[in-house]
Amino acid sequence: MPQLTCINPNEQAIDVSFEPGETILQATYRAGVDGILAECGGGCSCATCHVILNGNWDGTLEEPSVQEADMLSFAVDPTPYSRLACQVRLTDQHEGLTLAVAKRQY
Amino acid sequence: MRLGIVGAGQAACTLIAELIRGDFKGDILVFNGETHAPYQRPPLSKNWLKTSDDPTSLRLLPEPLETHPSIQWIQTSVQSLSPDQGLVTTDQGTYSVDHLVLATGTTAIKPSIPGLASESIHVIRTLDHALRLKKSLEGVTNITIIGAGFLAFELASSLADPSRTIRILAKGIRALPQVAVKTADRLVDQAPASIRVGVEIERFDETTKALVTNHGSIPTDLVIAAIGAQPNAELATACGLGSSDGIPVDEFMQTAHPKVSAIGEVSLHHQPHLNRIQRIESISEANDSASVCAKRLLGHPEPFQTIPWFWSDQGDAKLQIAGLCDRTDEETCLIESETELVMIRHQGQRVTAIEALNSAKEFMAARRLLDQGDLALDDLLQAGSVFARLQSSRS
Repeated sequence: MPQLTCINPNEQAIDVSFEPGETILQATYRAGVDGILAECGGGCSCATCHVILNGNWDGTLEEPSVQEADMLSFAVDPTPYSRLACQVRLTDQHEGLTLAVAKRQY
Repeated sequence: MRLGIVGAGQAACTLIAELIRGDFKGDILVFNGETHAPYQRPPLSKNWLKTSDDPTSLRLLPEPLETHPSIQWIQTSVQSLSPDQGLVTTDQGTYSVDHLVLATGTTAIKPSIPGLASESIHVIRTLDHALRLKKSLEGVTNITIIGAGFLAFELASSLADPSRTIRILAKGIRALPQVAVKTADRLVDQAPASIRVGVEIERFDETTKALVTNHGSIPTDLVIAAIGAQPNAELATACGLGSSDGIPVDEFMQTAHPKVSAIGEVSLHHQPHLNRIQRIESISEANDSASVCAKRLLGHPEPFQTIPWFWSDQGDAKLQIAGLCDRTDEETCLIESETELVMIRHQGQRVTAIEALNSAKEFMAARRLLDQGDLALDDLLQAGSVFARLQSSRS
């Protein structure tokens, strides 16, 4: 299985295996990564699964939808690399992606 | 300390996650009356119903929590409680606990329809309900949904298919009475179902396969009832701690008995935003009440103070509501475009809720402002949007 690396709010790096087709939320949740609340269960409705992609990532992710971008603007300290984990679908190309869980979800 | 949790839904799992995260010193016994590991309920009527039949995608607890050494899962229904002795009786034996948290949730209400066996009426509350509904859909062309709230409309969107005719029957004078008339109109227009209001169902006619109503005969291969739920308060009621309205708790989720707490949809407590005692069915209530209970059990009590919020997927449209209003609250339109709609619900100047259709920013801004407690109708109208009002309150 391909892997990504997730930095939790305590700055520990955790290797997360993922099935292509699942979202960052599904993969990190299964791995038990701390700090992603996802109160709405992955419905792009609460902005509590805020993650920040590594700025070096080469951009093979689709841009956020208007809905996701609007929700992100209310996350705590959003960056240009911020995403909602429930909205990013992973493919084989994301092997090696690094992302950090936001320090605070609200 | 040995903690017993009755139920394994959203509230129970949030409690478990927060206790483990907060380094809870003790053992946790979870009594799960369902045969499935904890799962998320909201997707059952939404996208999952339409696209998936894989229950694993609904898992509510990550594996490290599910298999955490301080948690013992007991897969059985609880038969009775003895709070004074701290005893939980199940058909697998009696367990002794120091404190009990009741997170028993609610049960979908089934109407009684002469000519139709209760088992033939579908409801959606549990994973088994959803799996059973999926299995029953083959060859079905006429689906009748009884009830016209969010759940009915979500189901209609999720079950929409060119081969099916979906009808929503409302008993009341209009569909979606929880939201503003304008919001409801928009959703009714978009719904892939025909909606009839003021319907009284007399019986089901087996020979014609139709529901006989005051609006004539309605061809029906499959009936789904979405008319609400009642609290599972029997265990608490049997020991004097609950009633058919729910389980009363204080602002720390403590019942009248010092060894018993209640959280989630079954709990009945003062809602600061509404300034009245009300039971609320929503994810926000499950999470927030569980969080209050966890803090108390961890020794840092903080009273319940958050405002409720809701969301509903209606096909491609997303309805998000911050706050909670009475059905009779006034309605004023704040933003209206082809795709977006933002309605203010209010009692005079006091804003009670914001309904945002495809307007995530307005919804999030409303949550922030309602949390801060300052939201007056004129301020919003002057600002032109909730978002602008939030920005001006920050500067």
